[in-house]
Amino acid sequence: MRRDAFSGCHPAVNFLFFVGAIGFGATIQHPAYCAAGCIAAAVYYLLLKGRKGFKMLGGMAVLFLLMSALNPLLNRSGKHVLFTWFGNPYTLEALYYGMALGSILVVMLLWFGCYSEVLTSDKFTALFGRVIPALSLVLVMVLRMIPAFTRKARQILLARRAIGKGASQTGKLTEKAKDGASVLSALTDWALEGSIITADSMRSRGYGTGRRTNFQIFRMTARDYFLLALILALEIAVILLGGTGASFTPRLKIDPIGWGLAVYCLLLWIPTLLQIKEVIAWRISISKI
Amino acid sequence: MRKSTLFSLLAIFVLIPLTLFLGTQVKGRWYYLISTLVIVELMLPFFFRFEARRPQARELVILTVMAALAAVSRVVFAFSPYLKTITGIIMITGIAFGPEAGFLTGAVAAFASNFFFSQGPWTPWQMFAYGFGGFLAGLIFHNHRSWAKPWILAPFGFFTILLLVGPLLDSCTVFTVLSKFTAKNVLAVYAAGIGYNATHGIGAALTLLFVSRPLLQKLDRLQTKYGILEL
Amino acid sequence: MAHFHIQDLTFSYPGAADAALKDVTLSIQPGEYLLVCGKSGSGKTTLLRHLKTVLTPHGQRTGSITLDGTPLEQLPPRDQAARIGFVMQNPDDQIVTDKVWHELAFGLENLGCDQSTMRLRVAEMASFFGIQDWFHREVAELSGGQKQLLNLASIMAMQPEVLILDEPTSQLDPIAAADFLNTLKKINRELGTTIVITEHRTEDVFPAADRVVIMENGRVTALGQPREVAEQLYREKSQMFPALPAPVRVFYEAAQEGACPLTVREGRSWLSRCFPQAPAIPALPPEPPFPAGKVAALELKEGWFRYEKNGPDVLRGVTLTVPQGSFFAVVGGNGTGKSTMLKAICGICKLYRGHVRLFGKDLGSYRGKLYEGCLSMLPQDPKCLFVKQTLQADLEEMGASPEKIREAAQLCQVETLLSAHPADLSGGETQRAALAKVLLSEPRLLLLDEPTKGLDSFFKQSFAEILKNLCRRGTTVVMVSHDVEFCAEYTDLVGMFFDGQMLTTDTPRRFFGSNSFYTTAANRMSRHLFENAVTAADVVTLLRQNREGSL
Repeated sequence: MRRDAFSGCHPAVNFLFFVGAIGFGATIQHPAYCAAGCIAAAVYYLLLKGRKGFKMLGGMAVLFLLMSALNPLLNRSGKHVLFTWFGNPYTLEALYYGMALGSILVVMLLWFGCYSEVLTSDKFTALFGRVIPALSLVLVMVLRMIPAFTRKARQILLARRAIGKGASQTGKLTEKAKDGASVLSALTDWALEGSIITADSMRSRGYGTGRRTNFQIFRMTARDYFLLALILALEIAVILLGGTGASFTPRLKIDPIGWGLAVYCLLLWIPTLLQIKEVIAWRISISKI
Repeated sequence: MRKSTLFSLLAIFVLIPLTLFLGTQVKGRWYYLISTLVIVELMLPFFFRFEARRPQARELVILTVMAALAAVSRVVFAFSPYLKTITGIIMITGIAFGPEAGFLTGAVAAFASNFFFSQGPWTPWQMFAYGFGGFLAGLIFHNHRSWAKPWILAPFGFFTILLLVGPLLDSCTVFTVLSKFTAKNVLAVYAAGIGYNATHGIGAALTLLFVSRPLLQKLDRLQTKYGILEL
Repeated sequence: MAHFHIQDLTFSYPGAADAALKDVTLSIQPGEYLLVCGKSGSGKTTLLRHLKTVLTPHGQRTGSITLDGTPLEQLPPRDQAARIGFVMQNPDDQIVTDKVWHELAFGLENLGCDQSTMRLRVAEMASFFGIQDWFHREVAELSGGQKQLLNLASIMAMQPEVLILDEPTSQLDPIAAADFLNTLKKINRELGTTIVITEHRTEDVFPAADRVVIMENGRVTALGQPREVAEQLYREKSQMFPALPAPVRVFYEAAQEGACPLTVREGRSWLSRCFPQAPAIPALPPEPPFPAGKVAALELKEGWFRYEKNGPDVLRGVTLTVPQGSFFAVVGGNGTGKSTMLKAICGICKLYRGHVRLFGKDLGSYRGKLYEGCLSMLPQDPKCLFVKQTLQADLEEMGASPEKIREAAQLCQVETLLSAHPADLSGGETQRAALAKVLLSEPRLLLLDEPTKGLDSFFKQSFAEILKNLCRRGTTVVMVSHDVEFCAEYTDLVGMFFDGQMLTTDTPRRFFGSNSFYTTAANRMSRHLFENAVTAADVVTLLRQNREGSL
């Protein structure tokens, strides 16, 4: 993963931001807001993913076009008929609506993509460890076991191959399924046996002997408090300022653009701006050396 | 009244209506957001109950192992990348340890495996749908273990996924892509998912057909050997 | 006052006819380093588990255990968790969380420590154990040695008074094991933590221990300082004697003059004192070269391999010839590509340059028939081979006739275990059972990946006998191993693997005789006097020959 300034902030800051970005992104269908969301999300996504991100953006463009073009086929209301197909109207309003829906989906997917990069499992458990202590411990343990189990499963498959057994051999589908089942059963045996040791190790280290605390590796700094307040203020402002209303069918009705959009943009650009600021700071400090 | 029960009742009878009411107040597209919030709130009672019980190390570990196994199980059926075995394993867990354990295993497995791919708008829906699969299997078979024969479980798994788990997952799509909710449109989305849900169902059916017997044996052996209680 | 005091402890598992512990009485002093030795099944693990209530097995028990005068079961679980640390055998399964930092804090979280205490303790431990470089890593990325060190560190973070370790290094390679045991010594010396450890790698632990306990059949049969115990074991001709470090064995079997040496260094100076002048017979006759035969069992020529297109080469022109009927060992450090070479030989890893010939035929020409009578591999973790509910069913999976199964089971000494669940077998039994399964495909070439890992010296011996037996019947055995002592003792040819290539290949005496670091303890102890003594028996023979010569 690349170094990213926003990822370095406290999980609470990250979380609050994504609640706003995804929440607003999923609900606001005002074209200007949608466009702003698309741009901000795409830029930050590229910042996180680097060159690999372009592939995803290409896919998103296709998704957007598809959603836009298909919507009029399902939604036939609207005044301006572009053409008719099999006697059904294909309307401009529905096409606009489709574009809005397409961009909402794109915005959501992109923000979720960023969320996955930024809000890693350790940040998630840091946030919710106090609310759901047992479940967040379960999550942390599952995340350790998944790679271990995968490795073990591959080991078993390899070991069987080297004695001439297993799915690589030609055979009928039922035989392959049976073979897969016996490997899974061996994996289960191994996992359950290990689970007893894990449970012993937990109890041996005092799990379940009383009140439990949560080690917080992330600390709130002054900057985090500032960002938290800023994001919260901006999110409330977006809600209070309004101007986000838009309906498409049967008639286009879109709120005029106001200050709300500017506030919205500022909110969405926080991660990117933070990164730009950090890069500039680095350049300056390097030039000083 | 136990605190966890109180919370559960609160979630279902206060939080959900409140969410729905707020949803109608939102200007714009509230469908996805509100439906997802409701889904999350439906899961809360399960989570609260689990937390309130202060599960012991062994319970915690078994739940974890089953969720991880469910997430990993696909690897061993490497000959067919389309075979989705996760739901089958979750159902087996439900049968062995009861509906609640089945639900939690499903929800955790879905959530955790998304950390290795990507979280998305579908995450809560997946958690709920997989969890529901485990819950249902547990509800029907946990107390009637004599019914849990491979040839009964396989069709059960197939149809549960085709008719319930799959459509639940598709509902997420309904709320994100449709602009107009007519019966025809909604059905069109569900119909589009049938092919995928059928392969998903076949994966689960095959898992239940071939793996359920040895796995249930092992889990039973574990329960007697180490005295792990009802989850 | 004694720290731990065990009085007349007798214990039997439910349903077992024989007691696992019989009248064990033992006092453990504060700050002591106590080594518990015994064959597998002698009750040492059971004894260790009694020292912590949550880990104590269920069963019939009489006698008492006290910690600082308080009966253990009256000590609250939380106190026990903090005061008594327990490290188990398997490095992987003990780890609970997915991140190194979280694992370090896990115990402290359970004890309900506050943030600032946890931060400090975690930081202290990371620094003491040199973990700070991988503090933020995922547990899955760590090596086995690092994992075990993490287990130790996360227990030490709770600042226990006693540290109990049950064969902590059995799953580690020798370098990681030595590293771990050194850390342990440091903990004992610098923090004064009491240590109770079971270990079959006695080379490092035996000299470091303050006292040694020998257990046989659930009884304590010897207890005292290492030298006293060694003497007693020799005098009683105990089965435990061959498990002692090489210098001790040489001392008692050959001379018994002066104080018994425990370490290689002490062994060297003791030998020097035995020979004021250079010995008259400085070398044993070297083994005859292994007959090459017409067709080699395995010929690997200029093999190159890498796992990823742009990744580094793992095999870099490896060339290897193994004569038919030989027991061939490949030694070398961790991560040099030894296991990859085995995978290349059995066709799982395809070479992108070079070729593999088996019994004169190209690997590719075997097609699907490769595993039917030509070659078979015993994987590093033998448990990987068992997929059925009983060993019998697992052996039947190979499609051999009942007579063949009986024969293989007999050869591998697992006839009595056929109805057992494979998961219930002990380490040595699992290894032999896996070998039986592998042999059912009747391979002419048998590949073994680290077969002695985690086996105690008795199981090693019986395992080696089985392999020698196979070689006598004409099977060729290629083994990858870290275990130089085992290779020196039993193999016909030894080759050194380094950096993706095979370096020298020779008979054990020549091979280890010319190495100065990567060699056996007996050789390191005697190389300043003897040219090619590689096993304790070699040193003893030379000592005797010289003594008789001077008479």
